[in-house]
Amino acid sequence: MSDNLTPLIELKQIKKGFPGVQALDGVSLTVYPGEIHAIIGENGAGKSTLMNILAGELQPDSGEIIFQGRPVRIPHPNVSQQLGISVVYQELALAPNLTVAENISLNTVRTSFGLEFVNRRDFAVKAKAVLSQLGMASLDLRQPVGRLTVAQQQMVEIGKAISTDVKVLILDEPNSALTKEETDHLFAVLRDLRAAGVAIIYISHRLEEVLSLSDRITVLRDGQWVETMPAESATVDRLIARMVGREVDTLFRPQGASTVQTQISFEVKELSSTALLRDLSFMVHAGEVVGVAGLPGAGKDELVECCFGLRPYTGAIEVKGQPVRLTEPDQAIKHGLALIPADRRGTGAMLVLSVQDNIVAANLSQVSRAGLLQRPAIRAVGQQYVQQLDIRIAGLTQAMGTLSGGNQQKVILARGLATQPAVLILHEPTRGIDVGAKAEIYAILQQLAAEGVAILIVSSELPELIGQCDRILVMYQGAFTGEFDRDDAAEEPILACAMGQSTHLETT
Amino acid sequence: MVKDVQMTPTTSPISEKIKNLFLARETGVLVALIVMAIFLSLATPAFLSVRNLLNVGRQVSLLGIMSVGMTYVLISREVDLSVGSIYALVGLITGMLIVMGWGLVPALLIGLLIGAMVGFINGWLSTYGSLPSFITTLGMMSVARGAALLITNGEPVTVNEIQGADPQTLSQFYYLGQGRVFDLIPMQLLFFVIVAILGWILLSKTVFGFKIYAVGGSDKAARVSGIKVYNIKIWAFVIMGFLSGLAGILSIAFLPSGQAGRTGVGLELDVIAATIVGGASLAGGEGTILGTILGVLIIGVLRNGLILMGISAFWQETMIGAVIILAVGVDKWTRSRRGL
Repeated sequence: MSDNLTPLIELKQIKKGFPGVQALDGVSLTVYPGEIHAIIGENGAGKSTLMNILAGELQPDSGEIIFQGRPVRIPHPNVSQQLGISVVYQELALAPNLTVAENISLNTVRTSFGLEFVNRRDFAVKAKAVLSQLGMASLDLRQPVGRLTVAQQQMVEIGKAISTDVKVLILDEPNSALTKEETDHLFAVLRDLRAAGVAIIYISHRLEEVLSLSDRITVLRDGQWVETMPAESATVDRLIARMVGREVDTLFRPQGASTVQTQISFEVKELSSTALLRDLSFMVHAGEVVGVAGLPGAGKDELVECCFGLRPYTGAIEVKGQPVRLTEPDQAIKHGLALIPADRRGTGAMLVLSVQDNIVAANLSQVSRAGLLQRPAIRAVGQQYVQQLDIRIAGLTQAMGTLSGGNQQKVILARGLATQPAVLILHEPTRGIDVGAKAEIYAILQQLAAEGVAILIVSSELPELIGQCDRILVMYQGAFTGEFDRDDAAEEPILACAMGQSTHLETT
Repeated sequence: MVKDVQMTPTTSPISEKIKNLFLARETGVLVALIVMAIFLSLATPAFLSVRNLLNVGRQVSLLGIMSVGMTYVLISREVDLSVGSIYALVGLITGMLIVMGWGLVPALLIGLLIGAMVGFINGWLSTYGSLPSFITTLGMMSVARGAALLITNGEPVTVNEIQGADPQTLSQFYYLGQGRVFDLIPMQLLFFVIVAILGWILLSKTVFGFKIYAVGGSDKAARVSGIKVYNIKIWAFVIMGFLSGLAGILSIAFLPSGQAGRTGVGLELDVIAATIVGGASLAGGEGTILGTILGVLIIGVLRNGLILMGISAFWQETMIGAVIILAVGVDKWTRSRRGL
């Protein structure tokens, strides 16, 4: 941490309420120049609200913001910008049609009057300087940002932030879509900025990374400040305990709880799809949890799409021994498959619809008679799953969009379960979900496996796969390069397979 | 394994219903309508007579019939700009068939079928054709208008005996547009009421209606829920085309003439405006038939009141435009307060 003991920014007793929820209930926070300060907490703990207040997007109901010793008000994002506060949001805020150079210069353009001539050469010079600072000097400045990878876009976003005189850099879940190398690079960049005296506020769910990266860690729970601790004195277990206010031991299920049956529920034979998938064969038994690991671009997304009728394929798929041809998702559902998609807000949830409508959407025949909806049946099915999955809502007619990520995911899970599937396919089931909801979802999955449901988890989170699966298949460039039983599943060998080193391959 | 200790904090259905009633978009529109009605009945005694109210009802009927269709299209997250042209095309063709001596039923069937067909083409192009419906229906607006001009050669079509219509068919045809049931209730209003009731049942009580909302809420989520997104959207356009055709037929039966260059020009804006004032969202997934009816009535009552008060037609346009902006603005504001 810096020797400079004047705090850069101090929040005192910040309160912010929304209808029906007190998002922040007297949170105080002190951030010094040259420190990386992590903020962790479950979804709904108030992290995003706090950041939006600093960004000038939201106004606190009460409390004080002190910036470099002076009390300030941040009524508008422009003010936050002028103070030197920059936010890199989880959903990147770049203009995809503009070039790299133009995006980096957006902040300076935005604060000017608007009628000055645009000097593209200045843009390029500035962008070049900023990107070399970020170790991205090789990036083509004239490329539209929409064509970059997520990691590159993120660097452009950070470049945009530091192109002004940034004093506080706030990152909200910055690496949820990054590979290991990209994350390492991001962290190196953040450490450089720290050395230059920038205060970094880092919001993340990945606790190991928080521990290795940050100087101090603040835990929020239910809109309240719980604790601020130096990173040296923290452990993952302690952080989790502080976040959830209780011990979470369900993240990894106890050994020997396997519920695999002999009957094969789901079998894929020599499945191929264009050049992206090559001769994939695997099976999932009833009661078995099978994981599919692989780096981004390995073909996991395409595999999920083929298995649910969202992408044309060649090869054969059998459900409970019956050959099926999946041309559309309604076919897949009819044959006993259910999908929990990766893109929760886009493909999973219908945000403006009510919770109960979201729950019954895949199973309309159960709640209707002769084409007429039976409202009591919709309500009953909704109620049943809200209770069974412990979905926290104010009412069944509450709009889906007002729920936290974890609760939305449970509603989507409920929608899948309402079809009574024999095979449940989950794609990144806990992405962006807090640790408490994660543990609950894992518990639900194990319960389903015990009831004989075949479960296929396609995920880029290895600890999740290792903790949950009876068997893990590893993909690389559209083919399987490894298969691990639960007893010998470990991160290193799986990663090696995911990077193309074909070891440990067994055919089933 | 799954925790079962925690009580689900679901409020009782009744208090939830009351809360929803206050939050519902319809309530705001209804209050606005009542305030307007009270103001008008104080300002001009003529407003609150049965005759005048039925007159308002007739005047808004065609707009109302089309707005019911537009509710389906907007909820499914599409838009249809061609409705004014379909209205003209179908009305004129049906009128010409009557003039040519066709019987009532075949002429109506052909007209309505053409309306539905144009809707189908709109829908097909906007789904399987991968074009945005703003573009397809903008194009169709011109295509259908042009077709009407070609068929009529740009000449006015007047439906009467002199032009050659069968007298008995003609009187039946006129009755559709001009008749009054029990000498009191205009036929057009009766059509509107029937369309509204059927439209309400289909949208809020059936699986098809549910799918309309689901598709508009998120077409990707609807697809992975096993809903045939394209087919649902095409049906919304077919309903829209059919109802535009019906309104066009009633219009020519009322007047009883029309001209391809004039009939229904700009009507799409009134229809979209009424539907949006009634709470349907251009972003899809939201809207109700009840709300649309209220939206139609707001526009109808506003027009009628301004006429009764002797305010110029130019002001009417200005005020109606302001109401649209106000209504949508208020909605945005209350939505952000609700945390949506």
